[in-house]
Amino acid sequence: MNERNERIHGVACTFRNVSDVFHAAEKVRDAGWKNWDVHTPFPIHGMDQAMGLPRSPVPRLTLLGGITGFITGCLLTWYMNSYDYPLIVGGKPYWSVIFPFPVIYECTILFAAFGTFFGQFIFNRLPHHHHPLFDLPQFSRVSDDTFMIVLEARDPRFHLDDSRNFLLSLGGQEITVIRA
Amino acid sequence: MSNSSPHALTAHWKKFLAVGVVALAIVWFFACKGAGNHDYRQGLSVLVGSLFWISILIGMLMLTMITRVFDAGWAPLIRRNWEHLIIALPILLIIGVAPLAFNSTFRHLLWEWTDATHMLPSGHAVGADPILQAKSWFLNENFFLARIALYVAIFGTLAVLLRRWSFAQDTDRTAGHTHRLHAVSAVGIPLGAITLTMLAFDCLMALSYHWFSTMYGVWFFALSIRLALAVTVILTYKLSNGGWLDGLLNQAHRHVLGCLMLAFTVFWAYISFSQYFLIYTANIPEETFWYNIREIDAATGFKSQWWGVSMYMIFGFFFLPFLSLLPYRTKIVPGRLLTVAWIIVAGALADLWFNALPRQMTQTDLTNYPEGFSVAPFLTSALFLDLLAIIGFGAVVIAIFLRSASRNEAIPVHDPRILESINYHE
Repeated sequence: MNERNERIHGVACTFRNVSDVFHAAEKVRDAGWKNWDVHTPFPIHGMDQAMGLPRSPVPRLTLLGGITGFITGCLLTWYMNSYDYPLIVGGKPYWSVIFPFPVIYECTILFAAFGTFFGQFIFNRLPHHHHPLFDLPQFSRVSDDTFMIVLEARDPRFHLDDSRNFLLSLGGQEITVIRA
Repeated sequence: MSNSSPHALTAHWKKFLAVGVVALAIVWFFACKGAGNHDYRQGLSVLVGSLFWISILIGMLMLTMITRVFDAGWAPLIRRNWEHLIIALPILLIIGVAPLAFNSTFRHLLWEWTDATHMLPSGHAVGADPILQAKSWFLNENFFLARIALYVAIFGTLAVLLRRWSFAQDTDRTAGHTHRLHAVSAVGIPLGAITLTMLAFDCLMALSYHWFSTMYGVWFFALSIRLALAVTVILTYKLSNGGWLDGLLNQAHRHVLGCLMLAFTVFWAYISFSQYFLIYTANIPEETFWYNIREIDAATGFKSQWWGVSMYMIFGFFFLPFLSLLPYRTKIVPGRLLTVAWIIVAGALADLWFNALPRQMTQTDLTNYPEGFSVAPFLTSALFLDLLAIIGFGAVVIAIFLRSASRNEAIPVHDPRILESINYHE
């Protein structure tokens, strides 16, 4: 990478309507781009496939949280009722999987929710207080009446002039270079 | 009447009806023969066979009303199949449950509390049982029969109304029918919930009338919805391979059905465990005996066959479908979803058996039966009669389904949300 490219975040290109941006996204996907994004004022059904996005990895952390919670609940009830301070309640055993099940099950849900909540922050790279796109005057229109594709400079395919021409060939309207 | 010609598949309805009639004739023959020998078990096959399908149809009736009230965008395509099916619900109550309840021989054999001369393990006759006397305002024969008639009337009315206006929309294209169906469903959900609760009390819980559980209706609802969803998955799989859903059903429909199956698997486990848990914690003999006879052989004190059935329900009816349904791929790959649906159908049958079959049979030989009773075992040849009854009632249900699909549009062509349903997206 030369010095000029290092200060560039990428190129942004506006599109007029859903159909243009949708087909453009499919072509960017087919060209093999990895670091790029589409910004639209509303969710477009099928856009995740058009962009070739994989499923969110968050459920894996949910499962991990759930398993951790289940084990924590078992250990918690075993330690308190059977090890640290053995206590007979209602003629039930010191520890079995039945009587403390509400505790075990609530711990499972709580930790699974933690996994989901914090997992979402991790995979979305949040909190993220500033983004180079925010400096772009056109970007505010993306929440109103404009659609935008951004090709990022960190993608190995990125080359300023080629990328600009590529976006124009896909039916793009206005090209802007985003300074990092 | 239908605008388009009926699908070729619907022509088979008479064959299914013939199979159903033959199977049910055999089942009723053995049931009557058994009743002649004072054996309740063959009559119970009729009850189990009809309740298996009644449970499925109640689930579908509730899902029809729930998707109406919530205006579910994915639903119309699938809901039309429920609408074809639900009219079988009052019919099955009439040909399955009602003859057992209204015939005094079957009634006295199956529902012991209706037979005042029946001897209990305690040495009392049923007529002198203070526990029955205390609940006789509810458990008396006239009210019982009136309730059975009421179930037919309520479920029948709901099924007829939900079908009539939905089918009317196919021809007159009036959006007003959708609003009318909203209103019927809003009233029908609480009404259906109370009715299915009472039906579960009368047809299953009252088979062992000393016992009571306030969660029983919710358990029956959870089981019904699980079964209805599993059967819907199987049915829509068949209909999208050579039926009228060919090319219409997509991955998102399977995903939504898979998610609902997962949710109700958890809900069923929650309810079933809670019922056990509360009785276990309170430890009151008049409640715990129901689980004791489902775990321990009264004569030997060892685990009985029913313990094996309960373990199957924990691992085969909860953990297996629950863990299988967690990954996203299970919910969208047709073959995998179908496999889980069959696992749920098999487990639901085990659950129905677990609730209906074990009963205390009074024994006078106190040397071999120190408790004064034995418990009906799980593995008997009558299980085959249960399966034949399920096939018989099932064939009748399929015949009714195909006949309805031949006389009305197979999909709701003018439902306001039909395009949304066809193009449903995750």
